[in-house]
Amino acid sequence: MTAYLETTVDKFIFRVATDRNYCSEGLWTKAEGNLVRIGLTDFWQQRNGDVAFAEIEPVGTTLTVGDVISTIETIKVDIELTSPVNGNIVEINPEMEDNPELINQDPYGDGWLAVIEVADWAAEQAKLLDSQAYFMLMKGQAEKEARER
Amino acid sequence: MNATKVVIIPCSGIGKTYGTVSREAAYEVIEDLRPGETQLVALSMLVLGDEQACKVVTENPSVTVDGCKLACATKMVAESGGVVAADFAVLDVYRRNRQFKPKGIAELNEGGQKLAHALAEEILAVVDDLTARDSSSEDDSATKKPEAGK
Repeated sequence: MTAYLETTVDKFIFRVATDRNYCSEGLWTKAEGNLVRIGLTDFWQQRNGDVAFAEIEPVGTTLTVGDVISTIETIKVDIELTSPVNGNIVEINPEMEDNPELINQDPYGDGWLAVIEVADWAAEQAKLLDSQAYFMLMKGQAEKEARER
Repeated sequence: MNATKVVIIPCSGIGKTYGTVSREAAYEVIEDLRPGETQLVALSMLVLGDEQACKVVTENPSVTVDGCKLACATKMVAESGGVVAADFAVLDVYRRNRQFKPKGIAELNEGGQKLAHALAEEILAVVDDLTARDSSSEDDSATKKPEAGK
């Protein structure tokens, strides 16, 4: 069972799953061998609002870090998400076409976006944040935004 | 003449595009499409517990139009003792009409206006269904009355 780090900022509760890595933009990565599942964090989905559409690059797409992997349209913003790892997309979440709200409902579970096959997970992981580091980063961002509201 | 009116309660989210879409759709139905059969109740009046507003929603079927997943309109009608005959979410309607991308707050862009119109058409279908049922039950009771008097 996944454990979470949790913080309350203003009236919002944000959770960070401890069993994965993160990039500062708010994507999580979870390795299963050399297959890396990616998705969006709880903070990302709460900050950007209800997802209207989620388009993901097709299976077979080769990505380097920084390439666009997905375009998400929410009730607040349109955002291009860039890949946190180098590799090839081997699977995309089929639910995203008809049920993109899964990103809001279950960001660390059924709301995953894609699976990327990487050549060297250890090298990729070294460039990512661990859950504690992301938690502190996220908490700082959330508190800053709360002060500015 | 129908005994009841369909009450429409849109989102009250001020400063939110989807809230504006919900209100524009409600206004279109109430002011232009079915002025005689529908009535607007401001969500804020239910939140305040206004007696007249609560009375209206408890005595008439309600159609709620929510601007986000918090679904305040639907929840407040239920909390006020009303019956939600149908609930709409602007996001769901947008997913069915992606070509109408809404933008703007005080004033919607063209996509937002078209989305509001599409939503109004969906609300209209429900309103017509509810009013037809109401007329039908009135007709039934009218034809039954003489029988009851026999």
